[in-house]
Amino acid sequence: MQRRDRQLGLLYAAPLTLFLVLSFLAPILLVAGFSTMPAKVFDLAHMPDFSAYGEFLRQGYWKSVAWSLGMALVATLILFVICWPLAYGMAKVFKRFTLVLTIGVVMTLFVSENIRLFGWVLTLMKGGLIEGYMRHWFGTGFDGLLYNVPSIVFGLVYVYLPFMLFPLAQGIAMVPDDARQAAYDLGATRWQILREIELPLAAPGILVGSLLCFVLSAGAIAESKLLGGQAVIVIADEVETAFTYGQNWPLGAALAMVLIAIVGGLAIWGIGRADLDRMIGRKG
Amino acid sequence: MTMTRRAFTASLGALAGSAALLPGRPALASREDELNILCWEGYNTDDVLSPFRKMHPGATVRAESGTSDPDMINKLRAGEVNVWDLINLNQPWARGQLLPEGLIKPLSKDRFLPYFEKMAPEFSGPYPQAFADNGDLIGMPQRYGPFSFVVNTDKISREMAEDQGWKLFLDPAMAGRYGVLTYDNWNLIHMCLTGDLNPFQPLDEAGFETFDGVAKQIFGGAKLLTDDLVAMNTALINGEIDAYFTGGTYTASPARLDGLTNVRGITPKSGPIDGKGGVVWIELTSLVNNPDPSPLAEDFLEFVQKPEICKAVGFAEGTYNPVAQMGDPEVAALWDAEERDAIQWDSLPEEMERSVEYDVVADYDKLMQIYTAAKRG
Repeated sequence: MQRRDRQLGLLYAAPLTLFLVLSFLAPILLVAGFSTMPAKVFDLAHMPDFSAYGEFLRQGYWKSVAWSLGMALVATLILFVICWPLAYGMAKVFKRFTLVLTIGVVMTLFVSENIRLFGWVLTLMKGGLIEGYMRHWFGTGFDGLLYNVPSIVFGLVYVYLPFMLFPLAQGIAMVPDDARQAAYDLGATRWQILREIELPLAAPGILVGSLLCFVLSAGAIAESKLLGGQAVIVIADEVETAFTYGQNWPLGAALAMVLIAIVGGLAIWGIGRADLDRMIGRKG
Repeated sequence: MTMTRRAFTASLGALAGSAALLPGRPALASREDELNILCWEGYNTDDVLSPFRKMHPGATVRAESGTSDPDMINKLRAGEVNVWDLINLNQPWARGQLLPEGLIKPLSKDRFLPYFEKMAPEFSGPYPQAFADNGDLIGMPQRYGPFSFVVNTDKISREMAEDQGWKLFLDPAMAGRYGVLTYDNWNLIHMCLTGDLNPFQPLDEAGFETFDGVAKQIFGGAKLLTDDLVAMNTALINGEIDAYFTGGTYTASPARLDGLTNVRGITPKSGPIDGKGGVVWIELTSLVNNPDPSPLAEDFLEFVQKPEICKAVGFAEGTYNPVAQMGDPEVAALWDAEERDAIQWDSLPEEMERSVEYDVVADYDKLMQIYTAAKRG
């Protein structure tokens, strides 16, 4: 009977599965198909020669991948450090103020990312809010804070904060207060409680938040373009150039596939380790 | 929430049913009252489209602006040749790519050749890039502008910039004082000119090496790179940079119209192509080879030759540009003194004289490879 139920379940899921496969996998398969084509062709009716992947290695595109992944990693670590106390407060301390904070953070998502980043350009540029006031008050200015790698990382941290904060708060909410109190009673130090109780028990939230931030940051382009003045060229930028000015779809597709493979691999590995069912409270 | 199997089946059925009820697209719709234009910003403004819509009540006129020539060509290649009726791009693409790939088709010569007579002298010839090798008319020119580089004349005088030309950016004293506007196809041309190379002729190995050196030096000394002309002008105005590589009337005009006339497009006095160092872009609007063509396409192309519409196209929101039709005094009279100053009308003839035409770069792929590698640093 149970087996039959499962079969029926699969059968019922079939239409939606098909829909998901078509709408989600088909574009990726198309990109994968293009990535195997010889350079500069605009359709799939050619013999695959995988030369675009050779270009990836020969032309030093790995540098852009390394910059993207490196900055994503740094941004994720910074986000974790910033969000941990905030998320802790939201989950355990703030009580009703948590709602105000949640609404405040969610509200920022209603404004387009580019507009928010432009706001920061006006704040950080020479003659902008910060430098302008400094010059006004102290008589000496400086050279503006934009157009370098730290400003790109700052942009990533700013834009992706909600994606770390909320999963982290959810994760911390899963740490039972009893466990912490019991650890205190048994003489654990604060450091030990953080390391041996809170971090392991909140791990699913940490993992989900980190994955979201890392994956989104690795594919981000606006921060490098607007705040960074393209101080470094990120991989998403290379993909865009290959498809547009380069007029080389296979190269653009191959670059995209490399990024998809790296972040997709990481995401699958991460999700495999996180117990999502437990996080959303379906399993005790 | 628990969902019963029955409820699930019912909702799935409802979904499928509603999908079936949605009106399908008729296979062979008549497109007599539909016009789709793919263009650079300007043709898609209300000032241009509203009068045309009034002339054709009941017609659906849509215009979408692209962000780069290659981007728009990609759309046609990806099958949108069925969607668009007119495409507006810079001059080399119609002859170089669109016509050979069968993406555009010739215009009626009887209808459009007379319009060339009233155009500025550069176009009244008529203009060679608007024709295919076999003499077919493949596009109508309208907006144009010299496009080389831009300086803040409070920091670098116009005379000095014009005399020094592209070498200005190789001067060690300029390191960290300029930006690069990442209109990548333009930068290939301008970096060749900086290295005394002709980008429109095939280069030899030594030429590629020179280009590599120039690209590395220019990116190495750049304070910022951006493809946003507003961000670039802002950096120029607030003193973060004193000049930017790749720019012209098109990018400087918005700042100039705001009264910041110290932002000025510069055309070098000399250069490697027959002594010329500047480049000029000229837009051509062509008829897309749509299998189900709209009769409104040529009507619209004729409509934008009217004086007041020429002004609306030349002075659309965003950027301001001269138009070929300003060769007709009746059209030119529509621009006031400030507007003429914004498009550097005073120096336009001499800048045109010092410029060569934007063209297909002979070694585009190889140069693009060297260029993107240098940009990556």
